[in-house]
Amino acid sequence: MDEEKTLTEEPVLAEEVPEVLQSDDAAYENGDPVTAEEGGMPAEAQPGKKKKKGGKWQAKNQWKAWLYLLPAIAILAVFTVWPIINTIRMSFLDGFTYSAQMTHAKMNFGVKNFQAIVGDSDFLNALGNTMLLTVITVPVSTMLALLIAVGLNSIKWLKKVYQTIFFLPYVTNTIAIGMVFLAMFNIIGSWAGGMQPSSIGLINKLIVGCGGKPIDWINESSSKVANMAVLMIFIIWNALPFKILVLLGGLQNVDKQYYDAAKVDGASRFRIFWRVTVPLLSPMIAYVVITGFIGGFKEYNSVIGIFGEDMGPTGSPGRLMTMVGLIMNRIEDGSVKFYGEASAGAIILFLIIFAVTLINLYVSKKKVHY
Amino acid sequence: MEEINKELNEQIPDPEMSGQAQDAALESVQPQEGETSAAETSHEINVEKASKRQKIGKIFAYIGLYAFLTVMALVVLFPFYWMLISSVKTIAEYNLYSPTLWPKKFEWVNYANVFSKEAATIDLGTMFGNTVLVGVVSTILSLIVTVLSAYAFAKMEFRGKNILFGAMLATMMIPGELFTITNYITVTDMGMYNKYTALILPFLVSVFYIYLLRQNFLQIPNELYLAAKVDGTSDFKYLWRVMIPLASPTLISITILKMMGAWNSYLWPRLVADDGHQLITVGLRELADALSEGSTPNFPLQMAAVVLVTLPLLVVFLLFRKYIMRGVSRSGIKG
Amino acid sequence: MKKKIGAVLLAGVMACSMGATLALAGCGGHVQADFDWPTEGFDVTKPVTINFLHTMGANLRSVLDVMIPKFNKLYPNITVKHESAGSWDSISGQITTKITNNTNPDIAYCYPDHVALYNSYQAVQPLDDFLPGGAYANMKVKQAKDGGYEEVPFGLTEAEVDMFNPTFYEEGKKIDDGTHMYTLPWAKSTEVMYYNKTFMKNNHLEVPETWDELEQFCKDVKKIDKNLYPFTYDSEGNWFITMCEQLGSGYAVTEPMNGSHFLFDNQQNRDFVQRFASWYKENGYVMTQELNGSYTSELFTEQKAVICIGSSGGAGYQVSLDGEAGNSVFEVGIAPIPQVKPYSTEKEGYDATYKPKMISQGPSVCIFKNDDPQKVMASWLFAKFFTTSVEFEARFSIESGYMPVLKKEIMEENEAYRDEFLGNTEGDSAIKALAVKCGIDYAENGWCFVSDAFLGSSEARKQVGRIMQGVFVNPDQLDKMFKDALKACSVYD
Repeated sequence: MDEEKTLTEEPVLAEEVPEVLQSDDAAYENGDPVTAEEGGMPAEAQPGKKKKKGGKWQAKNQWKAWLYLLPAIAILAVFTVWPIINTIRMSFLDGFTYSAQMTHAKMNFGVKNFQAIVGDSDFLNALGNTMLLTVITVPVSTMLALLIAVGLNSIKWLKKVYQTIFFLPYVTNTIAIGMVFLAMFNIIGSWAGGMQPSSIGLINKLIVGCGGKPIDWINESSSKVANMAVLMIFIIWNALPFKILVLLGGLQNVDKQYYDAAKVDGASRFRIFWRVTVPLLSPMIAYVVITGFIGGFKEYNSVIGIFGEDMGPTGSPGRLMTMVGLIMNRIEDGSVKFYGEASAGAIILFLIIFAVTLINLYVSKKKVHY
Repeated sequence: MEEINKELNEQIPDPEMSGQAQDAALESVQPQEGETSAAETSHEINVEKASKRQKIGKIFAYIGLYAFLTVMALVVLFPFYWMLISSVKTIAEYNLYSPTLWPKKFEWVNYANVFSKEAATIDLGTMFGNTVLVGVVSTILSLIVTVLSAYAFAKMEFRGKNILFGAMLATMMIPGELFTITNYITVTDMGMYNKYTALILPFLVSVFYIYLLRQNFLQIPNELYLAAKVDGTSDFKYLWRVMIPLASPTLISITILKMMGAWNSYLWPRLVADDGHQLITVGLRELADALSEGSTPNFPLQMAAVVLVTLPLLVVFLLFRKYIMRGVSRSGIKG
Repeated sequence: MKKKIGAVLLAGVMACSMGATLALAGCGGHVQADFDWPTEGFDVTKPVTINFLHTMGANLRSVLDVMIPKFNKLYPNITVKHESAGSWDSISGQITTKITNNTNPDIAYCYPDHVALYNSYQAVQPLDDFLPGGAYANMKVKQAKDGGYEEVPFGLTEAEVDMFNPTFYEEGKKIDDGTHMYTLPWAKSTEVMYYNKTFMKNNHLEVPETWDELEQFCKDVKKIDKNLYPFTYDSEGNWFITMCEQLGSGYAVTEPMNGSHFLFDNQQNRDFVQRFASWYKENGYVMTQELNGSYTSELFTEQKAVICIGSSGGAGYQVSLDGEAGNSVFEVGIAPIPQVKPYSTEKEGYDATYKPKMISQGPSVCIFKNDDPQKVMASWLFAKFFTTSVEFEARFSIESGYMPVLKKEIMEENEAYRDEFLGNTEGDSAIKALAVKCGIDYAENGWCFVSDAFLGSSEARKQVGRIMQGVFVNPDQLDKMFKDALKACSVYD
């Protein structure tokens, strides 16, 4: 049913897309990054210009436009713009807690909140964990996704089935599937004090089946390496669909001529992959890497899904603390709410993400072939 | 300033990339699919002068390729398999020293137990209800707000339009966690703590959806609009009668993504909702806390609950595959 | 480029205007000021509704529902609404949130730690005015009686104060700097040692009185069956705090010493944590609640553990009943938790100056400030009525297994309580009665203690619990765990 619908709608899109594309492509071909970036806006604004010539109604209808925009602006102002300002304000008010605000305690401007959160015993741990997670999961998942996308792009039989399967993890609830990973790696009981676990769990069964020794993956006597391994497998599993989708989309757009040329030159498959496919896909690769990094630094739900609110195995709470977890701990119920420190944490997180994105963009500017 | 824009362009995939990418990636049924794909065409050129050895090599390459894809597909599917079979095991069977790979006995009562407050220790039924309610209401309201704004940005003229649009896009760069703290304060100050409004209102406007829909509206030829104006059709009528039907694929994408967002949200509902208004994802995590430990944990019931949360999404996905993938390829971040 | 600058400017303007509106519209909950009590006292003609937030389950709510009509006979104009917040874990969080948006209850279940937290919002009503010697000690209130009214004292009289078990009554004063009384005790429990009497008898084991004896006991049990846990201890936090109290080594105090409230990082404490960690990790002597993932009573009832140290209020969960006959599968005994020195005079090492120590727990109630004095006074009358009612304390104790907060001699005036409950030695309520009896004895001996409550004391409790868990699992992390815990607490110094 939906197939039919899109077919009728598609022509509209098809007519317009090339136009937008042309302007963007032109901009990119200049090779000037500034123009390239600016390219987006004018292209979008063009239809507007056309309109201006068309009608004189706009002046008297101005209020109507604002009326249409009113709900969006009101909500954005309260829940997006105000938070930006207030978060900055709270982060620079020393010792800002909810009770301090309520009791009208006097607070000085300063950077104590930043010092406090950076000095938190979990800060370095959280920063290290998030860095490690991103630095490993992003390249691995991108590489895997690229291989799968190239594979999918060169088959016909069962292609749609595979495509659907590879997209499934995307439409799942991170906490829910985290619980499935928990179930798979979990052992019941422990080896402490010479006792035997009453169940070693699925993954250990498979390991024992292959002649290995059962490992404590996520329970109390687990090592951090084992915890991280489970977490990374889960994150990669979760990250694949989006990357495959974008990369496959890119692949299907690659002009066949490049491949034909390479074939005529007698290049090997491996060479074609590195010399033709990867460079041609570089904008998409840059895109999935950057979104991957942003997502990685905001990692939270995956840890909660497997390890729970304590963010660590039994007996080692906070072992897998992440930056977002650090912020959330400060606004937890039942404690004095350290909003100032939480805000400082959020700003630090923003700056990290911003910096990492800039680095990524700088690197991709050198490496990406448009 | 430049940097900001650069990041912006990356975060919001520009039409160049996604427009093409998505169409090609998703319309697997479209004509080009009938032809041979890039890699293969090149093969066929070679085929004429290919020796047998090359042919055999090609066959092996295909076997290798399918083997790789199949292994990866199994890895992807494995957690789903484990979730399904575990959900129908008895507790005793699940807790065996070495778990079985296929249930000896099907314990369907696990599914009924998900809704039994006694067995699950939590009122998951109410949480399912809450989630559906919040999902539906916030999707409907969000669609209204998005359509109105996108229309204003696409087809209306007013002073400061581009500046306002640029400012809105700029807010997309900031990680949501930065808003959470103040929004939590705002919500409690406004007396919305543990009310449905707290779960709905703050996320009603998505700049990304406005952007997406505006792009779509822009592609609808202006001639239609001018003709409607000549006929004396009001803006609202035109929007309702012409624009919305033409943009329905995008609207469907937005609807599904928004519903998925509500269905999967965790951090915010955990903060602002409590007993009676809690959403299902938070309930799931509580369930895991309550039933995972001790000497006789109840994983089958947990897995049954996970199936009930996961299945609706999978069904929606299989029905609306194309719309979801279209929206996703542009949005970038999960949830 | 201009466009972008404009965009940022506009965003700024939008934000500023919104900031201003918000600042005007919703500055959120406000803190109630202190006020003067109306000279005419509580108005018994004006209807008033009070909200009571607690954590009672259905069975205890039914006790409350029986007693509220009796309260209303005396004060017909007070409507009592009550609801359960669910669990102890969430009640303080819920109430802080409610305080911040002005929807807090008028009266609530609390632990001393919670009161210290609410006090940081200046939300709790000190009760000093209503106590003997207080400003309104002599104020009268009209109680309904036989269609008319009878004037009775509004505050607590000396005689009423004397009804309370002093240990429990004094708890209300051990909050913050100790200059005010903030709570009235509602029902109490302490930690006791449940033991499998049948197993101990069969294997000729004696009830250990000290930690050293317990260690020997563990060795003996392991010789009998290496898959048994010789003992379990439910609350890691309580264990740590109790050890500090028994050793006198220092835990956390309201009055800072050397600039810190937190004294728990010292060599004596490190030593006992290390000792117990080896009991867990190397020898498998012990299991705790967090490490087990649920109350260890399940191990005890399944006969996987011989001794279980837990709340006297949870006695009902310590028996394993034989399905049909309703008899317990094994006999359960109750003894004081192990101490650093024996409490039996005949034992070697007995020291008359040493008093056994066990933590006192269980709900108290606190009253919240309100702009409407009528509500505060109604809440006070409610709290006073329930906590000093022998009938209520008896019913509540029977239903819950908690100890009454009134003295033993006062409670024994209630024959039903004395004979049918405390005197009962059969069925599943026998263990509850035994736990209550033991608890009362320990409390009247003056063995129960409470730790100081101040802003940060709940963090200290959480952190020392984490030290126990963390070091048990990773004994090599001892130094780090102590340092991290101290650091986490230091924000309150």
